[in-house]
Amino acid sequence: MSAGNSSRRQFGVAAPPLFWLGLFFLIPFAIVMTIAFAESAIGIPPYISPLQFGEGGVSLHPYFGNFQILAEDSLYLRAFLNSLGFAGGATVLCLLIGYPMAYAIARAPESWRATLMTLVILPFWTSALIRVYSWMGILKPNGLINQLLIASGLIDEPLPLLNNFFSVELGLVYGYLPFMILPLYTTLEKMDLTLLEAAADLGCRPLRAFLRITLPLSLPGIIAGSLLVFVPAVGEFVIPDLLGGPSTLMVGKVLWDEFFTNHDWPVASAVAVAMLILLVVPMGLAQFFLRGKERG
Amino acid sequence: MAAVSKTGAFLRIENVTKQFDGKLAVNDISLSIEQGEFFALLGPSGCGKTTLLRMLAGFEQPSAGRIVIDGADMTRVPPYERPVNMMFQSYALFPHMTVAQNVGFGLRQDGLDRGIIRDRVGEMLDLVQISALAGRKPSRLSGGEKQRVALARALVKQPKLLLLDEPLGALDRKLREQTQFELVRIQRQVGITFVVVTHDQDEAMSMATRIAVMESGKLRQVGTPGQIYETPNSRFVADFIGAVNMFSGKVTGHESGMLTVASPETGCVIEIANTEPVPAGTEVAVAVRPEKISLARTAPEGDLANSVRGTLRDIAYLGEISIYRVELPSGATIRVSLLNAERLAGPGFARDENVWLSWSAAAGVLLRQ
Amino acid sequence: MKFIGRIPRTLCRAALIVLAVALFSTGARAEEEKILNIYNWSDYIAPDTVAKFTAETGIKVNYDVYDSNEALEAKLLAGKSGYDVVVPSAIPFFARQLKAGVYRKIDRAQLKNYGNLDPQILEKAGAADPGNAYGIPYLWGTTGLGYNVKLVKAALGADAPQDSFALLFDPANAKKLAGCGISLLDSAQEVVPAALAYQGRNPVAKTGADLEAAIAALSAIRPFIKKFHSSQYINDLANGDLCLAFGFSGDVVQARNRARDAKNGVEIAYMVPKEGATLWVDMMAIPADAPHPGNAHLFIDFILRPENAAAISNTVGYPNPNAKATALVAEPIRQDPAIYPPETTRARLFFDTPAAPDFERQRTRAWTRLKSGS
Repeated sequence: MSAGNSSRRQFGVAAPPLFWLGLFFLIPFAIVMTIAFAESAIGIPPYISPLQFGEGGVSLHPYFGNFQILAEDSLYLRAFLNSLGFAGGATVLCLLIGYPMAYAIARAPESWRATLMTLVILPFWTSALIRVYSWMGILKPNGLINQLLIASGLIDEPLPLLNNFFSVELGLVYGYLPFMILPLYTTLEKMDLTLLEAAADLGCRPLRAFLRITLPLSLPGIIAGSLLVFVPAVGEFVIPDLLGGPSTLMVGKVLWDEFFTNHDWPVASAVAVAMLILLVVPMGLAQFFLRGKERG
Repeated sequence: MAAVSKTGAFLRIENVTKQFDGKLAVNDISLSIEQGEFFALLGPSGCGKTTLLRMLAGFEQPSAGRIVIDGADMTRVPPYERPVNMMFQSYALFPHMTVAQNVGFGLRQDGLDRGIIRDRVGEMLDLVQISALAGRKPSRLSGGEKQRVALARALVKQPKLLLLDEPLGALDRKLREQTQFELVRIQRQVGITFVVVTHDQDEAMSMATRIAVMESGKLRQVGTPGQIYETPNSRFVADFIGAVNMFSGKVTGHESGMLTVASPETGCVIEIANTEPVPAGTEVAVAVRPEKISLARTAPEGDLANSVRGTLRDIAYLGEISIYRVELPSGATIRVSLLNAERLAGPGFARDENVWLSWSAAAGVLLRQ
Repeated sequence: MKFIGRIPRTLCRAALIVLAVALFSTGARAEEEKILNIYNWSDYIAPDTVAKFTAETGIKVNYDVYDSNEALEAKLLAGKSGYDVVVPSAIPFFARQLKAGVYRKIDRAQLKNYGNLDPQILEKAGAADPGNAYGIPYLWGTTGLGYNVKLVKAALGADAPQDSFALLFDPANAKKLAGCGISLLDSAQEVVPAALAYQGRNPVAKTGADLEAAIAALSAIRPFIKKFHSSQYINDLANGDLCLAFGFSGDVVQARNRARDAKNGVEIAYMVPKEGATLWVDMMAIPADAPHPGNAHLFIDFILRPENAAAISNTVGYPNPNAKATALVAEPIRQDPAIYPPETTRARLFFDTPAAPDFERQRTRAWTRLKSGS
C-alpha cells in the first residue's frame, strides 16, 4: 500500500514539470516535425501539410525532399560543423576561465560567497543585446581597444578584432560564462574539504590532490556546465549575427535564412529537427555516463 | 604533570601553544609519548585536544613550541611529508574510489610498484577484516565498515604515528565495545604508536595505556588509567573521570601518615591514610569513589571516622550494579554503587530506609585544587 | 434513462449559446468599429500623419513597425496577422505574397485621390502587381552606391570612377578600397542584378547561366568585402568605418545627413551608376483577412492626398509616387538628385521581376555560399 502511495505521490510531484515540458516543448516540437515533412508551396501557410484531414480520418503524406536537400548540399553540414566548432571552443574556454573563478568563490570566506555570485550574475540584469552591441563598439577598428593601442603607440594599423572567429568566440564566452560558473560553484561548494586534508595526510601534495580528488568530484558540475553552455551555443543566432561576419556561418543563421529569406518553412524545420537529433545524442550519452557514476 | 622524562621519548611535544584570534586553544603543553603506546587525549569539548591532534598531523602550525617525532623536528613540516597518518572522525573516505583504491591511495603517492601496492592493501584489508568489500564504493558501506576502511587506509603506510580523532563517536554502543577491543588488538599487532582524541572517558580508560586529561587548553594530569582514576590530582580530574563523591573540609591534623579532615558536609571526621603532611586549617576536598563506600543498616564497629548516616532516597538498578543515592542530614547526596551479585545474597534495601555509609582510610583521595 | 435524456438537452443549450454569439459577432462586423491596425516600416511616416488622420475620421490607429520585409512576410504567411494596412516591398515580397493569396483587391471606387499617382511608377509597379489591382505605391527609391568621397579619392586618386559600378565590381578598385571598408546589402535579390548590370547583361534575367555569371563577378571581389548587412552601413558610413556601401538611396542620404550633423568631417555621396540601378517601390496593401478594410481604404486615400505624401517625403527623405505632391515637397529634397533622380538618371533605372521559387532558392543558397567564402 505504501509503495503504491509513494509512486503516486512521486508522479504528482513530477506532473507539473512534465506538463510544462509537454506543453512548451513536445507540442511545438511535434508541430515543427510536421512542417519538416511538408512540401514547400505558395500560400498561407507556405507549405502543404503531410497530415491531410479527409473523409476517412487523417492520412499521412510525408515529403522527404527537405531532408534530402540537407543531406545533399554541403552548406548545411558545414554550417552545422561550424556551429559545433564554435560552441565546442566556447565550452572549453568557459571551462578554463570559469573553473578557477568558481573554485575561488567556493573557497572564499562564507560571508563573501553570496556577494561574489551576485556579481557573476549581475550582467544578466541588463539586456543581452545591449551588451553584445557594446562589444561591437569595443572591438571595431576605431573602437575602444584599437584607439587605446594606437594612441599608446603600440600599433600603427587597427587590429581586426571584429566580424571574425575571435569576436564570435569572445561574445559566446562572455555571454555563457555564468552558465558554466553556477553549476561548477554548486558542486565545488558542496565538496567535503576534509577529503583534501585526508589526501594531504596520506602524502598527496596540493596540486595532485586537486587533480585526483577535487577535479573528479567536480565532474558532475563540469558536465552540467558544459551542457548548459554547449547546447544553446550551437543554435546561437544573435551573437554570430552581430559580432560575426559571413565567414563565421552558423546553423542559427542558416535556419533564419531558410525561414525568412527563402520563406522555406519546411527546410528550416528540417534543419531544426536535424539539429535537435544531432544534439540529443551527446546529451543522452552524458546522462548515461552521469547515472553510471552515481550508481558507483 | 609530565609523568615521564623528556629525553629519548618517541614523540615529544615541547611547550606547544596555539592561538586563534587572541584565544589560546592550546596553552603551553608539554608531553612525552613512548613508542608503541596507545595514548589518549581526553577532555570536554573545547579543551584543545583536537587542535593538539591537528598540530601533530600538520594541519595546524603551533604558535610557539616544537613537535619532535622520532628525533626529527616536525613543527613546520607539511602533512604530506610527515610519517604520520590520521583516521578522521568523519572517515573522509574518497567517494569516487573503491575501498581498495582508498586504502591504496597513500601507497600510490609514494610511487610504489602496482604489485606491491596490491599485496599491502590485501594484507591491510585482512587485518581489519573487510577483504570482501574491496571493490565497493564508500556510499554502499555501513558506518562500521567505513571505519575499518579509514583505519586500514591510515595504517597501510606503516606510519610512525597514527592519530585517531574520536574514532568511536559514530558507532552504537555494542559496536563501540567490540571496536575498542579490535583497535587495541590491532595496535598491539602492528606496534604503531596510537594517539587518540576522545571526550568519552570510558573509551579512554578501556583502550589507552596512558591518558592525558586536558581542560581549556591546559594539561591537567597525565598517567595510566589506574593512576588517573585512583589518584586524581584535582577536583576537575576526579570529577571528569567516573563518578565521585566530593567532600570539602578543613585539615585538623596529621599523625603517623594519617590526615584528619573536619567535614561539616558529612558531619564526620574523614581520615585519609598515606598522605603528605598538610598544615592544619587548610581547605581541602576529599574524593571517594562510589564503589568504595559500603552500605549497612547498623553503624560500623570502632570509631566513627569515615562513617555517616543518611536516608536512602533512590535506587537505580543497572543490571550489573545498582546505584544508591543517600541523603545526608546536611543535605548533601552521596552516591554508592554496589554489585548486584553481592546484594542479592543479603537483605535488600528499601527507599527511605536509614542507612550507614562507611569507607576505609585508604579509599579517600586528598585534593588540594 | 433520465440521465441520457438530460445530456442532449444541455448540449442543445450550449449549441444555442454558441450560435447566438457567432451571429452577434458577425452582425457586429457588418459595421466596422472605428479602429485601424497599421504595420509599417520604422521611421517611414511623418510625425503628424496618423494624428491628422484620427482627428479627421475619428478612427483610432494602432501603429506597429518592422524593420525587414522578412519579418513582415513571416507574419503574413502565418495567417491572421490582425493588420489592415501593411507596406511590403514590391519585388520579391509583395509579388510573392500576392501569389500566396495574402491580399484583398483594392476597391478603387473608395480611393478618390487615385489619379494623383505618377503613371511611370504605376507602370513599374504593375510588373509585380498586374493591373495595379492589389497595391498602391507608397514610397520608392533606388539602390546604388554610397561612398566616403575623401577616402575613395585617397585610395583611388582623383580619377576614381565616381559614376560607375566599376568602383565596386572592378577587383583592382575593390582591393584598394578593402582597407577602408566595403559593405554590400545582405540581399541576393538586390546584389545579383547589380552584378549583372555591371557585366552589361540583362539585370533582371533569371536563368542559371546569369546566376553563375553574377556569382563569378561577386566572387572576384568577395575577398575585399568587409560586411554583408542591410542596415549597419548607415552608421558605418557616417562614422567613417566604411568607404563604400551598396545600399538604399534613402539610407545613404540619412548617413550623409548624420555625418553632417555630427560635423565629423565625413562627406558621403550617393551615386546611381551609369550601368543602371534598381528602382524599388514599397506598396500599401490590405491583407485578405483584415478586420477593417473600409478604414484601410480611408487611410490609403488619406495618404494619396498631395499634402500628406509631401509631408512624408519631407520627413523620411524618400521620393513619393504622387505626381501632384512633388511641388509641395521641400526644395532641398526635391532638388537633391540622390533623392529625386533627374529624368536622365531615371532612364537608367530598372525594376526587378518576380522570380520562380526554385530560382530563388538557388539564388539564396548560392548567396550564402558566396558570403561564407566557400
